[in-house]
Amino acid sequence: MTDQIVHAALTAPAAALLRRIPGVTFILVGMIVVFAIGNPRFLSAVNFTNIGLQSSLLLMLALPMTLIILTAGLDLSVGALLGLCGVVIAELLVAGWGLPASVAAAMLVGLVAGAVNGVLVGYLGLPAFVVTLGTMGLCEGLSLVITNGDPIGGFTPALENFYRSTVFAVPTPVLVAALVYGLLSLLLYRTRFGNYVFAIGGNKDALHLAGINANLVHTGVYLLCSLTVALSALLLLGRTNSAHPSVAVGMEFEAIAAVVLGGTSFEKGQGWLFGTVLGVLAISVLRNGLNVLSVEPSLQVVCVGLLLITALLIDRNRKQASQNGA
Amino acid sequence: MKTRHVKHLRLLSAALISCGLSAAPALAAGEVIAAFTKNQVDPHFEGVRAGVEQMAKKMNATIRQYVPTKPNNITEGMSQLEDVGVTRPNLVLFMPIDPKAQLPTIKRLIESGTPVLNYNDKAGDAPYLAFVGQDDYKLGYDIAKMLFDHLGGKGNVVILEGIKGSNTGDERKRGFDAALKEYPNIKLLASQPANFQRLLGLQVMENLIQQHSEINGVIAAADASALGAAEALKAAGRGNVAVVSINGVPEAVEAVKNGGLLAIAEFNGFKIGCVATEIGLKAIRGEAMPKRVVIPGAIITKANHSEWLVPFQQRTCPAAADYAGH
Amino acid sequence: MTTMDSPAPVIRRPQQLAPGTVAVVVRLGLIACIAVLLSSLSPTFATTDNLLNILRQASLLFLVASGLTLVIIAGGLDLSIGANLTLCACLSAAAIKATSQPTAGIAVALGCGVLVGLTNGVLINRVKIPPFLATFGMLWVAQGIAYWFMAGQVVYGFSPAFRFFGSGFWLGVPVPIWVMLVTGACGVIFLSRTTIGREVYLMGANEAAAVLSGIPVARRRTLLYMVSGLMAGLAALIYVARLNAAEPGIGEPLLLPAIAAVLVGGTSLFGGSGGLFRTLLGATILTLIVNALNLLNVSATWHPFVTGAIVVLAVLADAAVNRGARR
Repeated sequence: MTDQIVHAALTAPAAALLRRIPGVTFILVGMIVVFAIGNPRFLSAVNFTNIGLQSSLLLMLALPMTLIILTAGLDLSVGALLGLCGVVIAELLVAGWGLPASVAAAMLVGLVAGAVNGVLVGYLGLPAFVVTLGTMGLCEGLSLVITNGDPIGGFTPALENFYRSTVFAVPTPVLVAALVYGLLSLLLYRTRFGNYVFAIGGNKDALHLAGINANLVHTGVYLLCSLTVALSALLLLGRTNSAHPSVAVGMEFEAIAAVVLGGTSFEKGQGWLFGTVLGVLAISVLRNGLNVLSVEPSLQVVCVGLLLITALLIDRNRKQASQNGA
Repeated sequence: MKTRHVKHLRLLSAALISCGLSAAPALAAGEVIAAFTKNQVDPHFEGVRAGVEQMAKKMNATIRQYVPTKPNNITEGMSQLEDVGVTRPNLVLFMPIDPKAQLPTIKRLIESGTPVLNYNDKAGDAPYLAFVGQDDYKLGYDIAKMLFDHLGGKGNVVILEGIKGSNTGDERKRGFDAALKEYPNIKLLASQPANFQRLLGLQVMENLIQQHSEINGVIAAADASALGAAEALKAAGRGNVAVVSINGVPEAVEAVKNGGLLAIAEFNGFKIGCVATEIGLKAIRGEAMPKRVVIPGAIITKANHSEWLVPFQQRTCPAAADYAGH
Repeated sequence: MTTMDSPAPVIRRPQQLAPGTVAVVVRLGLIACIAVLLSSLSPTFATTDNLLNILRQASLLFLVASGLTLVIIAGGLDLSIGANLTLCACLSAAAIKATSQPTAGIAVALGCGVLVGLTNGVLINRVKIPPFLATFGMLWVAQGIAYWFMAGQVVYGFSPAFRFFGSGFWLGVPVPIWVMLVTGACGVIFLSRTTIGREVYLMGANEAAAVLSGIPVARRRTLLYMVSGLMAGLAALIYVARLNAAEPGIGEPLLLPAIAAVLVGGTSLFGGSGGLFRTLLGATILTLIVNALNLLNVSATWHPFVTGAIVVLAVLADAAVNRGARR
């Protein structure tokens, strides 16, 4: 009885939205409650700034990664590429190139990496995992070779000032990430390109048959990702105030995890860009909260794993429940 | 050690439950100290943590340990600093994973009114309460000289470096190089990074053994890589090669006792932890304290090794006054 | 010799080689080329000691990668092998220390590995969590338990009887190489000569067809994750015996090299093709390259770059071979 009433009360779009909300949302809400009770300062403005800053870089990687995963691919090279672009910008700044030229050079590096990934995956149909694992090694290797393994510092403080600046009390990096979200959201949901992205994951052959250059779209997704990563290097440099060859290696796995937590699936072009924001927030809030509550270091490691597994367990249960109900 | 692990085995089933309980922040008695270490792998940092815990208990303060979930992860180390700022501890004991990257964050923490003491590795120029540590350059120089004298001032040696870009690794390397210059008849065959790691130490050594038919001495930047290298040498029937290292964790000291290692320059995490905690606490309690305490490192050999065989938990903290003059 | 038994000589058309055979031949060729080049450049390369050294390093990589190979052929992925190895190593080392019985350590390592594998298998095949996320989550859980259990310590110092598995020799050949050869042979026989083994390929190539032909896909895949865990446990024992110590940083750096070994060997991530002999070749190529760079005095900072290049070249070579075969 009550079930029927509830069903009736929910208009169709609201029910659809509810179904769309990934399981990680419930965990996110639960975590916020627990952390706030554990330490009221968790809810302070300073801490919100922390969570915002700590999320923004991961978000910059996870958002374009969502598009790639929608095409049933993935990109393992983003972390290494982020490091490489940081190294390139820092080296050129130290060499006196000036910021615009250095960033342009990093964008070029991103363009090349994205083109290699995109052409091999999009045109040659090679598995994205292998291709991007290879480019990951190439990018990390290049950063090591360029720097000889040493960190680079002593470039313009402008990047750090930019990173630490705020607009109406909101940290600039958060705004940058929000801007990237807005642009990608428009691209994905309001343009034909976006439709094609969903279609590639669903059925690339059908797209071919419809006379669309699906390979080009497929390549474009990887290019888009690498270019966003190249720009994100500015945030990384602002944050670390120096460039390290392998500082961001490993971030790709967290970005992919955030995307999947957000409800985007590796198959069939199903996903939700805003879900990725929730996934990133869940990871950042967990890590931040564990620190604020001073949870024992080894247990923190276990908690990260449990977050991933539990969130997906919830997703599975809800999917099964909705299938049984239907 | 043995009993500890038996206990652990028995408790394994109840592990997660009991961990969940111990995760709740301990009831604060006196000041709250946030102590940073770089990873949960290297026993050196366990020594630091044990020293900090013992001295804090003695002086009636509470310790909260912060360790990145991924070993030596720079961005995570920065996030943890930001998050700790929210909890407003009375004292922060800080060692940098990377001084260049973390300096701006630590400066902001100090500006916000949290007293910070720098220990173990030098962390750049900021208004710290004090620095407590050892002279990595001198440790490197002394142990290299000791080896060269043992070899009679002539022979072929290889160096297993630490992590490039880390203050500890770079300073030790500088010390090795300075000693090398004084011994014209010592030939440096190779200097390769082993990243303070055991497996890398083993494999780098295995490859060097193939390359060089005559190796007389090995200088490792840390115990773990020295132990790995000693294993490789022993397996190749070259157990007579003299291996020296820096640190002095119990396992390595046992190897000195058994002849696996020739000598170790003492880099004593336990003492650093004790003295840093004492100086930091006394400073925030209003006592005048020295700004810089450099704990001298002994050369541990077969003749004097027994002091360092004692497990960290059973050692007794030295008084800071013993080192204040140095 | 074949014509001797056949009464009527069959006229054979020169048949095109299967792409799989070509892939193996290409890799053997690559190894041969590097070997020839190196032996002309460095007098120490072609010594028995150095070759055994390369194979011993490759054998450790192979053991971690072997179980993963089976999982990948069946269309799955296991990112937890490195952390699983760490956990098995730590628990088994502590068990040996506590009981002074190497057998206790062996039981704990293999048991722990299988248990982690079983958990992966259930999460992926019963609960239907994507393999990437389930095993990535498991990576953190296993690593965290290892940290907690070890509490910053190292367990070290084992009896010569136990250490024989890692650093001993039998007939002049290091024991880990024997372990590699025996497990490799068992795996190859399993994959090519048993029904379950052949079903592994079908599951990876076409899951729907596998279900239709009555293969209990979920149960089979769970079994493969358990095998992957078992191999991580076995590798853990060899590592502990080789290093004479167990520490919680031992396994994680092995994950990406192990995946690279599988892929450079030519096992496809799309599932359905590949094999253990190829992974053995992949592990050998990766180890050989590092050995070569060392013998040629190339700085260690080049290692990741060259490894990445080899991965890209391997996938390009396979693509070319496959296209050629399709034409």
